[in-house]
Amino acid sequence: MKFAIALFSAAHAPSSRRALLFAQAALAGGHEIVRLFFYQDGVYSASNTIVAPQDEQDIARQWREFVSAHQLDAVVCIAAALRRGVLDSEEAARYQRSAVNLEAPWELSGLGQLHDATQAADRLICFGGP
Amino acid sequence: MSTLHVVSHSPFTDSRLDSCLRVCGSDDAILLCGDGAYGLRHPALLTKGVKVFVLAEDSLARNLPLPDWADCVDYPGFVQLSIDYDKVNTWL
Amino acid sequence: MSKSLLVISRQAPWSGPSAREALDIVLAGGAFDLPIGLLFLDDGVFQLAPHQDAKAVQQKDLGANLQALGLFGIDEVFACGHSLAARGLTHPVNAQPLNDEQISQLIDRYDQVITL
Repeated sequence: MKFAIALFSAAHAPSSRRALLFAQAALAGGHEIVRLFFYQDGVYSASNTIVAPQDEQDIARQWREFVSAHQLDAVVCIAAALRRGVLDSEEAARYQRSAVNLEAPWELSGLGQLHDATQAADRLICFGGP
Repeated sequence: MSTLHVVSHSPFTDSRLDSCLRVCGSDDAILLCGDGAYGLRHPALLTKGVKVFVLAEDSLARNLPLPDWADCVDYPGFVQLSIDYDKVNTWL
Repeated sequence: MSKSLLVISRQAPWSGPSAREALDIVLAGGAFDLPIGLLFLDDGVFQLAPHQDAKAVQQKDLGANLQALGLFGIDEVFACGHSLAARGLTHPVNAQPLNDEQISQLIDRYDQVITL
């Protein structure tokens, strides 16, 4: 089964962790993830400037490691990310901002990537809210 | 076509579960997770007679006993539900 | 054959970018000629209320985007009758009101759903 997974919440929201555990279980079950798409506040789950307290789960880091380990196609919506200050080096340079908080394995792209993933997948699963 | 509705907001402070129950079809099911698990204490679910699942970790974390009208699933179970139903409608 | 997507928009227009970002999903799908439906539910029906003034809160007019739906090939635009009535809104000109049973059938008819 091919899954497209869309995330709409920041790394500190329980739903971000829930999406990660769902994605891990999907792969463990022999399924495929055609793309992760992070939209709205989901762009914060891809930020590399999050500092989790030492005795708490670092979900943003776990996302990064998961995406890298499985070489997943992981897209952060560029319009949602710019609005929320989640920038890769290219966008930081373009808009003359001092901070870069998005890097590989994440890629900034447009909403077309959500529709493209939805077309390619058997199921679209969204996570967000609390 | 059947739909798995996923609700993660508490029904005591939020209208998502109410709206979900209004448009829920007879072949549909509801998966409660996060604060949505408090729905196990909400009478609306019982009266609607829709199939109800709860994410095990969320009912455990909240010490919510499982009523006989609900089933609990772990993450592999969640994945399986998303396959068993034709689509998943998460009330974000 | 393309998979169809129903977007259910539940947020009021002036509560942050959520309503606009829901609409952006719809418009992007329309730009790719995908079969997209849009349903306004709960506070989402406030997006359809007449004579709103975006300038009063220095926002862009979401209504202009709603007008553009047809240009993007989005013809399936619906509003929850229950949500309209509960909020004292009359039937909008640019969305077809549906009762709960019809909404249930609408969700059934689409391949995928995003409710936000």
